[in-house]
Amino acid sequence: MPQLIANIAAGTTAGAESGLLDAMESSAFATWVRESPSLFAYTGMLSLHAIGLAFVVGLSSAVALRLLGVAPEIPLAPARKFFLLMYTAFWVNALSGIALFAGSATSLVENAAFLVKLGFVVLAVVNLRLLKRFAFDEAGLPRNGEPVPAVAKALAVSCLVLWSAAIIAGRLTAYPGLLGKYFG
Amino acid sequence: METIAALLDATGMAEIVNAYDWVWPICEIFHFAGMALLIGTIGFIDIRILGFGKGLPIHALERLLPFGVAGFVVNTVTGLVFVAGNPIGGSMAYLENLSFQLKMLLILLAGINVAVFYLTGIAREAAAVGATGDAAPAAKVVAGASLVFWVGVIVFGRLIMYNDTLLYALGL
Repeated sequence: MPQLIANIAAGTTAGAESGLLDAMESSAFATWVRESPSLFAYTGMLSLHAIGLAFVVGLSSAVALRLLGVAPEIPLAPARKFFLLMYTAFWVNALSGIALFAGSATSLVENAAFLVKLGFVVLAVVNLRLLKRFAFDEAGLPRNGEPVPAVAKALAVSCLVLWSAAIIAGRLTAYPGLLGKYFG
Repeated sequence: METIAALLDATGMAEIVNAYDWVWPICEIFHFAGMALLIGTIGFIDIRILGFGKGLPIHALERLLPFGVAGFVVNTVTGLVFVAGNPIGGSMAYLENLSFQLKMLLILLAGINVAVFYLTGIAREAAAVGATGDAAPAAKVVAGASLVFWVGVIVFGRLIMYNDTLLYALGL
């Protein structure tokens, strides 16, 4: 933070961003996440991030599969409650993600795969909200036996595609340079 | 354990992993996707059996199970690539890793749990419960155990690469 203040005082914004990231990375919390031997620190955040991923991606994929014709005997209306669990899992990941980001902010903002992942996560969450609106909220909800509207099916496909893309980019975040080597 | 390690090392998977640097990350991607599929289907049913999301018939949700099984198969195959193809320390490094051992133990317990569910008639009773009905306590115990085991599998799976942190926490 002092560097940021110094930069602002000097009238330069060039280093402001990296100053903020440096400050974030050297904060007590980020240092704890990164360096503490506690199971609740880095490994705890990683575990929460994987658990949240499994529930938000898994449950929304199951709902997407249902909309695409798998297990048509599952009624849609009561499945609506599961969006609460999906959103909860998403927030677990947003918070554990912020903790993990703080720990290595300066390198992550320069990691292309990470930035692409964030983009796909944002799109996937917007898609999830649209899916709920068009397939589960009053007007859009198809009654038992009624065909699923085309818009809901399209959103189910994009749900699966966007989460897959987010997982791919998220995993590749751990291999900076790999993409550049093959597609650079 | 040495025999298993020798068998796994004899597959030559480590040479493949060493020769092609994209093999490991691609297997990881499938491992995460398989995990989500498994939790999204088996976890979905477990949560309903526990009483959340009444209105969903348990027997209808069971139609999602083939996707969970597919996720498990994908993860078994990619998991074997990790263990057999470990470029550092070979398969023995996995077999001796406490986090890995606990993960395998939890998968075994989850398997026994599924066997109990289907072989004792608990599953049949649960499937017969109406859309808004409450599953029997025995089914709830199995469903709760299933969630605990699979979440544990995720946690210890993540800890494999940070096994020292687990050992330190346990004072080992």
